[in-house]
Amino acid sequence: MARFHQLKVTDVRKTIRDAVVISLKPTNGAVSEFDFTQGQYLTFRRDFDGEELRRSYSICAGKDDGILQVGIKRVEGGAFSTWANTELQPGDTLDAMPPMGSFFTPLDATAEKHYLGFAGGSGVTPVLSILKTTLAAEPKASFTLVYANKGVNTIMFREELEDLKNLYMGRFNVIHILESDAQEIDLFTGLVTQEKCAQLFEHWIDIKSVDTAFICGPEPMMLGIASALRTAGLQDTQIKFELFASAQPGRAKRRESAADAASTGNQATAAITLDGSTQTVQMGKDMTLLDAALENAMDAPYACKAGVCSTCRCKVLEGEVEMVANHALEDYEVEKGYVLSCQAFPVTDKVVVDYDQ
Amino acid sequence: MAEDMSIENYLAQGGMLSNPANVPPRYRAALLKLMATFVDSELAGAAGFADIINEGPGIKARIAAAKIVLEKSDSADRVLAIMGEFGADTERYADHHPWTARLQRDADIGQQRSDHDMRLAVFNYPLEGWADAVVMNLLMGRAVAVQLAEFSLISYQPLAEVFRAIAPIEARHAELAEEGLERLVEENAMEGLQASVEYWWPRVAASFGTEDSEKFEGLKSLGLRHTPNGALKTRWQAEAAATLAKFGLTPGT
Repeated sequence: MARFHQLKVTDVRKTIRDAVVISLKPTNGAVSEFDFTQGQYLTFRRDFDGEELRRSYSICAGKDDGILQVGIKRVEGGAFSTWANTELQPGDTLDAMPPMGSFFTPLDATAEKHYLGFAGGSGVTPVLSILKTTLAAEPKASFTLVYANKGVNTIMFREELEDLKNLYMGRFNVIHILESDAQEIDLFTGLVTQEKCAQLFEHWIDIKSVDTAFICGPEPMMLGIASALRTAGLQDTQIKFELFASAQPGRAKRRESAADAASTGNQATAAITLDGSTQTVQMGKDMTLLDAALENAMDAPYACKAGVCSTCRCKVLEGEVEMVANHALEDYEVEKGYVLSCQAFPVTDKVVVDYDQ
Repeated sequence: MAEDMSIENYLAQGGMLSNPANVPPRYRAALLKLMATFVDSELAGAAGFADIINEGPGIKARIAAAKIVLEKSDSADRVLAIMGEFGADTERYADHHPWTARLQRDADIGQQRSDHDMRLAVFNYPLEGWADAVVMNLLMGRAVAVQLAEFSLISYQPLAEVFRAIAPIEARHAELAEEGLERLVEENAMEGLQASVEYWWPRVAASFGTEDSEKFEGLKSLGLRHTPNGALKTRWQAEAAATLAKFGLTPGT
């Protein structure tokens, strides 16, 4: 299982008004653990008012840049991103898991490929890592980036992209699509939709020559681009997605504390929600929640039944349960009320659990 | 930009997910269950086949069997690594169960899983010698090919990619089984082969499952399934029957 390591913040640089690039250095001999592949992300954790939050952010550095950097754009109401943008200072330390993710394709120095990248807003972060790495490692490769933003002043890494264009003249091209700022060419204004892509493929991008496409942005944009790519003849194996949904949840609500922990006898009433419907069952306190659900013909998810795989995870909304073994959930999940239902026995006379949360 | 699309809506329209950060709970559960089923089946399959290696006629046959054991373990490892990103304790997982455990040959458990792991029911039955193992591996190998083609389209892209990488390796296992069967036929060791086919045919067929259509639609809307089990089973029956016919064998019922 991946573990957290401490990273030292060596630099915090603003790229636009509400986004920072953070340079990080592994400490305590964990350098090799953070040897990343282009396009991967780091998962950070931090305590906010006694509650642990975890957030994943993509690495924006190229593999051979010799530095570990992530880009963090401030999200409205987002605790972690706001903190990173306003309070994080060089010299601070951050807890992070080693790089994860598979938003990349293998590099081949002899390949002569044409890559196409689509990025929406801060979705450019992993794409920047990929294009820098690829252009450096594959001298014959070319890369076209279609980069969607609201306006000129929200373009992350604008200058860096210009520098790359000069460095890789003829091999790297950026098409900026701006939602609200008018541009000389009408086609470059508006949203990146399926129709817009189809038009780009007519005159601006030689779609037939594209080997692999990378897409990172909000959901509707990714869907539109993927449809356009498929229509243009790309196979699913040629399209790489990375979605960090706006759906990374905000502040998690604290679990209601079990007020009436008083318990009598050996029986419990369990209200179990699964696939949107709730069944209330009577069960012995010597029975696991999973078995109670299965015995009542509910199709509860499980696999190992040994507290190892986390398939049977559910959330306790009311009452208290005891988990006899836990090799899968981490402390912060347990704190939020998650239990492994294959290992969880009711303690209170009434418990309410939900597999849908 | 319109950013207010729900993940469920995104998936229903063919969107792909790429990391555990934003999978919905029911998606997570279905995905982990699918991965656990694959990992457990591969580990149980490899463990059962390991015992057969020494029964192979000649070094080439033993190398083929050992290769299958090695590669099935490797396939399990690759999928288990993705389970690890969802929090599974991968080391403990691989060791928590005696993967060689089998029921009696005449146990009839239909599609039931054992209480302790998620291996497909077919992997709970014991192999009886080399020829029987070859037949089982051929039939199951063809079934895995059909199932992997389905799962290679799954909406969790890291897993789809692993399945696409595994598919040709598993396909090769079915080819090795076919070569093994060819050799048995050449050497006139036909005895018992038809009986093995009849034994394994319904058990492999059962591994396609029979989920109800409501459940299938649910999985389909999440991009976790595309073709109903019945259609996959029919495809397998046709392909496997054609292969058997080359050796004068007929499908079971």
